[in-house]
Amino acid sequence: MPEFRDMPEINTSEQNKINEILDQIFDIERKLESVSEPNSIQRNINRLKDAFRNFYARANEFDVGCYYENPIGEPYDATRTNVEARIAGESSEDLEITEVIKPIIRRQYKSGEDRLPINIVIRPGVVVVESKKKMEEKNNE
Amino acid sequence: MSDSINFGIDLGTTNSAIAKFIKGDVIVFNNPLDYGRSSLPSVVYYRKDRIMVGTKAKEYLERDPVNVVGLFKRKMGTAESYKIKSINQSKTPIELSAQVLKELKNFVNTGEPLDSVVITIPASFDLIQSNATKESGYMAGFEQVVLLQEPIAASLAYANMKKTNELEDGQWLVYDLGGGTFDVALVRIKDGEMKVVDHEGNNYLGGSDYDRLIVEKLIIPKISEEYKFKDLEKQMKSAKGKHNGKYYSLLNQAEEAKIRLSAVTSAEIIVERMKDDEGADVDMEIIITKSEFNDLIKSSIDETIEMINTILTRNSLTAKDIQFNLLVGGSTFIPYVRERVGEALQIRVNLEIDPTTAIASGAAHYAATKSKKEIEISKSDKSNYSLSIKAAYNKASKENDELFAAKILGDIDGLFYRIIGLDGGYDSGLKNLSERINEDLPLVKDTFNEFSFTVYDSQNNVIETDFKTISINSGFIISGQPVPEDISLEIDDSNNPGFTKLDLFIEKNTILPIKRTKTYPINNHIVKGSQDDVIKVNVVQGSHLALPASNKVIGNILITGNQLSRDVSKGSDIEITISLSESQELTVSAFLNMADQEFKDTFNPKERNTPIGLLKEQVEDLDSKIATEIHQASELKDWETAKTLEKIKKELGKVAEETGDLTADDVTDKRYQLEDKKRKLAQETDNTTKFKRISKAKFLYAQTKAKCFDILEESGNDHEIKVYEGIIAQEEVFLASKNPIKIQEKSDELEYIIGKILWRTPDFLVGVFGSLLGDQTKMNDQSQAKSLIDAGRFAVESKNWERLTEINFGLIALLPKGTKDKITSKIGFGL
Repeated sequence: MPEFRDMPEINTSEQNKINEILDQIFDIERKLESVSEPNSIQRNINRLKDAFRNFYARANEFDVGCYYENPIGEPYDATRTNVEARIAGESSEDLEITEVIKPIIRRQYKSGEDRLPINIVIRPGVVVVESKKKMEEKNNE
Repeated sequence: MSDSINFGIDLGTTNSAIAKFIKGDVIVFNNPLDYGRSSLPSVVYYRKDRIMVGTKAKEYLERDPVNVVGLFKRKMGTAESYKIKSINQSKTPIELSAQVLKELKNFVNTGEPLDSVVITIPASFDLIQSNATKESGYMAGFEQVVLLQEPIAASLAYANMKKTNELEDGQWLVYDLGGGTFDVALVRIKDGEMKVVDHEGNNYLGGSDYDRLIVEKLIIPKISEEYKFKDLEKQMKSAKGKHNGKYYSLLNQAEEAKIRLSAVTSAEIIVERMKDDEGADVDMEIIITKSEFNDLIKSSIDETIEMINTILTRNSLTAKDIQFNLLVGGSTFIPYVRERVGEALQIRVNLEIDPTTAIASGAAHYAATKSKKEIEISKSDKSNYSLSIKAAYNKASKENDELFAAKILGDIDGLFYRIIGLDGGYDSGLKNLSERINEDLPLVKDTFNEFSFTVYDSQNNVIETDFKTISINSGFIISGQPVPEDISLEIDDSNNPGFTKLDLFIEKNTILPIKRTKTYPINNHIVKGSQDDVIKVNVVQGSHLALPASNKVIGNILITGNQLSRDVSKGSDIEITISLSESQELTVSAFLNMADQEFKDTFNPKERNTPIGLLKEQVEDLDSKIATEIHQASELKDWETAKTLEKIKKELGKVAEETGDLTADDVTDKRYQLEDKKRKLAQETDNTTKFKRISKAKFLYAQTKAKCFDILEESGNDHEIKVYEGIIAQEEVFLASKNPIKIQEKSDELEYIIGKILWRTPDFLVGVFGSLLGDQTKMNDQSQAKSLIDAGRFAVESKNWERLTEINFGLIALLPKGTKDKITSKIGFGL
């Protein structure tokens, strides 16, 4: 069985730079959603994301690196430690992530051949959450 | 109503069975039409007005051979179909399997709907064969079909019989010799997690081969001795042969004799209702003795032992490391199999489970774990601690979250608990400890998830308990649905122009679904509208370390110039994406960056086409390749390699001979057997000659290294020396890697340093300029060429080397396209 303590040491300044680039890629990807363009920019973005996903991979190794996760629309409660939330509105029941300011950045590694990868949150996402009820009311108005 | 699948089917070559998991126990359903038996012969009989499956159909095998089909599992995934006379139609192996599955539904007498099922397949089934099996499930009306490899099913049956907590950490073998397929798997258990570590198998080896051997090697020679026949064997085995019907009936009798020989020392076969070439009635009783039979099957049993030895060697294990060898499959009833396997391997033969129902019951056990409600009570040790925690949760899950439930025994007053995800994504917070607790734990897909479970008192001091961590494998349910063999892309090998190599895309045992993208430089100009300029995307399955020829093509896309919206230059990118869905549907897409065009295709390979003509051709090709290799090895006085190759060539000779004997309409599955053998021999050739390729790569590396060292001494800068030293530091590792490709990569890196330095050295620059002068007449723009050459002469005189570099590049750009680079490309892109 893999063990979490097998985790490799993380070079903080290198990781911070990677986080910064990933945040930018995330932003570009999000901006692209509202743009229709003929040049398939999304492809280039996927290439960039792939490169980071395999950042630490050696020959014939896959998925050893960093990637981001967009938690938009997912439910939120206090047990979720992979995001830092700003709770909007008055109600704190039935919360949902309505805006993602920064995505969750995860890092995946293998502690040995033939083992399941281990995954850790390298940087929690920064999000805005709102009560679903509140949102429905808003929509009805 | 339970929401787990619960039903498991063993879809066997000769016999099939269905089982269900009910409240912790598995029942194997009885055949309602064959009292006292739980298996269904995998035989289908077509009559004008009805279809019969099973025992009745098997009975008609003799009376009506043109309308009865059996052993079709072996042809699963081939393009072959069976002509059925009575209905004047052809039936594919998929359709026939679907009939068997439908019949099995009738075994279920509990009256519940049956729309999801686990079906077992041999571990050696490839993608095509697995897909075909799935397809037959859907055809039989199941909405959800989950495949499970047979060795895992057998291990599950055994583990569940023993109850998991009695199984010690360790490993064992599953030896599955069925009616038509042989599989051996190395299964390892650690901390309650069971896993297939390695497997070998032959899809064309099993009990029905023994029946065939009895007919071909014992009965036919004996008939031919007594009566007058011209090539009786051919007349029996060819579909158009006069005695084709009799062949099937003798097979049936041979099977009965084989079964009797497990108990008694001799069995008789009566041959009658048949006339010889001179019209004489054949009427004879042939006695087959146990020792005759044992001699007949010895080589095939030895082949199975050989495969086990291969697994042991590959995993650096000896017989002592293996707890036992679990025998399953009907053919393991043969006493000789048990004796020989036990003797030869010196591993304890384990006969504790019923070899005929083990697979079905294991499948049902597995089907039960497909439920999210199904809970596993983990071991607990009450001693020493004031609190005892009985936890119940799925240790493997494909869900986004998993319910963790626990029962707490002991004084819980004023205590708290907290669950924290070790990935940093979850924290339950401190919660009051009650007698029963439930938490939904979020899981990260396809990884190992671990949570800590801690109990605190009111001052937040940790209270020791017997339970500390919750471990859940996401997407990894014992067997999941792993890719059976590496999936690679064939690319041009830039070091061996005209040859190709494999680039690994998806490694063996990756859990489905999976999607990966890689980018390669195109090594040819492709002119819009041209027919000849082609890019080939060949996706193959097999070991990525082998030669491309020994892999199976599972999907391919062809791009020609006339499909392009513009010219595509050499050096621009092609982006290849390969994805495999959970139902093993293969999608390949190739995107040409420069043209901004995508070519995409989906492959759902269910058929393998093996025309005998093509097979003969492939065997000949391989034969001449081996001959060349032998010649080369002998020249190098490498007698050992030559000897091994000679042995392979001899084996191939047999294959060639047998292939030559096949008629184009041969009804047996011999052609697939032969194709498998051919591929295995190609792999062996590959392994044998790998040393040659390694030593060649090492030699080249040593040469390049010496050259690089010299040139660095003379004119290398600090950075280049550092890069060089970096490569040398890894030397030990990559030279020991036994991978010629890896070694080659390092030579390339050194070459790059050499090239970089050379382009600053005056001698080299003057040399290049000199050779370009010779090509002056060919240059595209003569006036520009002339002015560059004048400037070049001046630069040489004034020793302006920087300027000379520019001029050289300028002149190279003026060369006509063809001269610039002569790359022999087969595929159109590569590394």
